[in-house]
Amino acid sequence: MTESKVVKDLMIDVFEYPHIPYWFTIKQAIMVIKKSLIETEKCFHPLAILIFDEKYNLLGTLTMKDIMRGLEPKFMRTPTQKAQVLEEEETSLYLIWNTLFTEESKQLAEKPVGDIMVPAKFFVEPNDPITKAAYIMIFRDLGLLPVLDNKKKFVGLVRLIEIFDELSNVIIKE
Amino acid sequence: MEQLNRQNYRKLYVQLYEKIRKKIDEKEWSVGFQIPTEQELCEDFKVSRATVRSAVLELVRQGYLTRQQGRGTFVSKKVISDKLTMFTTFGELFLEAEIGFSTDVLAQTIMMPVDDLADKLNISGDKHIIYIKRLRKVDNKPILIQETYIPFHICPPLLEEDVKKNSLFELLEKKYEIQITGVRNYFDVTYLNADEGRILDLSESSPALVLTQHFFSGETQIMYMRSIKRPGSFELLIEFEKKIGDDRMNYKFSKL
Repeated sequence: MTESKVVKDLMIDVFEYPHIPYWFTIKQAIMVIKKSLIETEKCFHPLAILIFDEKYNLLGTLTMKDIMRGLEPKFMRTPTQKAQVLEEEETSLYLIWNTLFTEESKQLAEKPVGDIMVPAKFFVEPNDPITKAAYIMIFRDLGLLPVLDNKKKFVGLVRLIEIFDELSNVIIKE
Repeated sequence: MEQLNRQNYRKLYVQLYEKIRKKIDEKEWSVGFQIPTEQELCEDFKVSRATVRSAVLELVRQGYLTRQQGRGTFVSKKVISDKLTMFTTFGELFLEAEIGFSTDVLAQTIMMPVDDLADKLNISGDKHIIYIKRLRKVDNKPILIQETYIPFHICPPLLEEDVKKNSLFELLEKKYEIQITGVRNYFDVTYLNADEGRILDLSESSPALVLTQHFFSGETQIMYMRSIKRPGSFELLIEFEKKIGDDRMNYKFSKL
């Protein structure tokens, strides 16, 4: 096993990702994603924005999926009654497809990103083994983990893609 | 000669100043021309000696006229530029020495440029920015909100500097040797949003003076600053003094 590898060996620079404060609106976050990720054609995974507070403490992350979920009108979140039918085939939802992400979503876009971000509850430390990072990511379904020094200072990020690359080398190694 | 308008709300010496200045600007009185004596100006404009002295003094102070003792007052070649184009050091907005003030750092974090901030800083939309927001108080009363935006790559360590105690200008110039060589200042009136009103202890939509500044180091814009001043209590004085080898412009608040 790659017991010699620790998180800091695979850590990436936090400035690889866009940063915004929690008080930015969803609309502003959309502009950041367009300018920093889509228009620059950055292809890393996950594509996310890091959310910070006034003192540069990491609060959470925001992906495109989180944004779209945050812009869903209320009625999209109500489950359909005919559970045996695949929801997307439900004819009563036809109206929804035609009105997706329009007026109500524009109003919802003025909400602060703090309302819809995924809070950064889990972290690792620079000298933690990468297997610990892998465990947390799989168990918590995360693509990205913050690395905190002495459980306080945000010093980097570790991603599933680098963890996978390193661990899989062990598996395929002959 | 034209008469001054005593019905005009503006002071007579100001009107006289403008009349004389117009003659100089339009070259009716050319460089080297000896202007009429104080007595002659009194009689021509039907004003007191004090009014003439105030107007002439202001023109001398601004460099339009020069006095030669025993000879008279002459139109001089103006040496002070209309444009404030040469700076080597700046003070931050500060208060007169005897006024005690304190600073709260409301934010010191990183953001991406949104809205028109990328244009204001002349950077691309994918660059990180250091954002510093401070509240200046006197006797615990809030008087000024200052928001500063600096592209992160200009001075990364600023994110962790103590900006409560230290001047940003001193940090940039003395500690990090980034010289500020120019500034553009814009003044306007703004109407406070809810958050600004809460911070300045005023109601939303109250009017306030806003000063926006673009700071340059050479050709590169290194900082954008937006300051919102609470009306009343203090007036903003900007003074410029030009000395050989040490051009300086200071901003300060003076108690009304």
